[in-house]
Amino acid sequence: MNSPVIDVRSISYAYGKQKAVDGISFSIAKGEVFGFLGPNGAGKSTTIKMLTGQLIPQSGEISILGHLVQGHSKEVHQLMGVCFEEKNLYPQMSGEENLSFFAGLFGIKRPDIMGLLRQVDLHDRAKDRVSNYSKGMRQRLMIARALINNPEVLFLDEPTDGLDPVSAQTIRNLIKRKAADGTAVLLTTHGMLEADQLSDRVAFINEGRLYAVDTPENLKLKHGTRTATVRLRRNGTIVEEVVPLDATSSGEALKLAVGSGEVLTIHTQEASLEDIFIKMTGRTL
Amino acid sequence: MGILAVLLKKDFIQFSRGRIYAVLSAVGLALFIAVFWIIPDTVTESVAIGIVHHDLDAMVAMIEGEQGLELVPFADEQALEKVISGELVLWRKADGTLTELASKEKPKDMEKVPLVAGIAFPPDFLRLAATGQAPEVQVYINDDTPQEIRSVLPAMIREISFAAAGIPLAITEPDTDSVMLGVDLYGAQISLRERMRPMLAFFVLMMETFALSSLIAMEISQKTVTAVLATPAKVWQVLLAKTIFGAFLAMFQAVVLLVAIQAFTATNWLLLLLVCLLGSLMFSSVAMLVGSWGKDFLENLFLVMIFIIPLLIPAIAVLFPGASPAWIRFIPSSGVMQVLMEVTAYGTGFVEVLPMLGISVLWTLVLITLGLLVLKRKVVRL
Repeated sequence: MNSPVIDVRSISYAYGKQKAVDGISFSIAKGEVFGFLGPNGAGKSTTIKMLTGQLIPQSGEISILGHLVQGHSKEVHQLMGVCFEEKNLYPQMSGEENLSFFAGLFGIKRPDIMGLLRQVDLHDRAKDRVSNYSKGMRQRLMIARALINNPEVLFLDEPTDGLDPVSAQTIRNLIKRKAADGTAVLLTTHGMLEADQLSDRVAFINEGRLYAVDTPENLKLKHGTRTATVRLRRNGTIVEEVVPLDATSSGEALKLAVGSGEVLTIHTQEASLEDIFIKMTGRTL
Repeated sequence: MGILAVLLKKDFIQFSRGRIYAVLSAVGLALFIAVFWIIPDTVTESVAIGIVHHDLDAMVAMIEGEQGLELVPFADEQALEKVISGELVLWRKADGTLTELASKEKPKDMEKVPLVAGIAFPPDFLRLAATGQAPEVQVYINDDTPQEIRSVLPAMIREISFAAAGIPLAITEPDTDSVMLGVDLYGAQISLRERMRPMLAFFVLMMETFALSSLIAMEISQKTVTAVLATPAKVWQVLLAKTIFGAFLAMFQAVVLLVAIQAFTATNWLLLLLVCLLGSLMFSSVAMLVGSWGKDFLENLFLVMIFIIPLLIPAIAVLFPGASPAWIRFIPSSGVMQVLMEVTAYGTGFVEVLPMLGISVLWTLVLITLGLLVLKRKVVRL
């Protein structure tokens, strides 16, 4: 892995006596998409708040490109873009005005507002007030806002939540492009398939603690089971044979199943991230 | 453009796009200016007091010479008592003849004489006063007798007694727990329009409290402030921008109004600007408190009312001059209102209003600190 862009070391935070985050550590490299997965109340939002400087960790340290988040918030904020779960845009201002305002806060003299709006397919609605935008349009504008300062680190909290498939795909493509350009992306999502498709690595968080940090592939190999379902006609009736693929004798078992009749279909299956999450934490997402 | 300027520009766009605030501000301002110019600029201050006396003609004539006082002679103390108690009504014909009638219907060619009080001197008043004894003077008042007239009556009796016998009567002034807001208007009455001038300025300063509090509440409920704080903008910059914007909004409109109603003079403009600044900061801090606590339009409106109604009391007290309870002085807006009154109505200078100005500065500091602390706490906990 390249040298980490985000380095999180044993951070903790409690709301009163309720521990929200309990000594978690992880790092994210340049150009990496890091999926941060967990159910509601697992500690994702608190972690993101600490990463973005909204909360100060009660213990531990966070550094972004070598800057400690605590005490260097101005330098750190210049490096990051945040897309919040809430659609916290100014509804009485247009899409262009919203972006222009945030560009001003970053001190950007000549922001390429239209270029950014074109990336999220909103350039033809730039002058419209956000109050007239659909949910998908607002979400795309949120992503554009997070990119206004061309950040080196991107925090995306449920960026495709509740979007139509076209809008969701636009955003996924954008995330891939930004990662390819070298931006480190921390992504929280409930969509396991999305996390699987987008993330280079994922972290499972539950009750404030990390249960696993690895690539989706490795997690599936280590903790999941793969099967092949063979559907065949045997003696005039249709039957299904499920063959586990992780056993040492799985090749022989599959040959036997295939040879026992007229094969109609063969489906291979692997465990989903959700299955593995449930297996590891005992909770559903 | 600095972060502060960017935040201020955004606040201005939001305010101007909120049609209800912009329209209410413009209409309110125009209405206040119109009200000021419609109200008559004349003073008709005459007080009629009934009097029963026997040999005090010279003294009564001397007192009656005072501006705005009419002493209506009664031959019969009982008739005077009945007029004051409302049993009879006193009417005057065009030739000046007075008649007491039981009917309250207005007789043809007669005008009602509104007596506010009555004084009945005993027949042997002069003798008793001259020999140092205590004559019994009856004073008749009713529920409608203004407080200031009630307090003037003993002084009037004392003056007549002194003029008649050369000996002051042993009259003890009643204990009062009251304070005069503004100056004693005796002999220097100002018109209702003049009195409206500071009150309207005060109303305009107060008017933007709801608009600013709504903007703050919206920023909190929509969590847009969280997005702002994920940029290089600091909490103090956000708070300072809100303070500046709120104060500017209120002060700008107050200045427009004061110009339109011709309140500025070559000598008072700096003092007026200063007191407007204090008032606008005071109401901005109220808006911060309300904006931090209010969650929606109705809650905001309710909270604004809770804060604004007590702060309005000094303005209303000044509009109706007379004795006001002493506790009015402890209302935070009292100092601002008094300075506005003194400066716009009586042309009082800086030195004379300095104590009131000092109290206003202290109250403003207290409220603005409180408002900023509450808003900061709310913002960082989102």
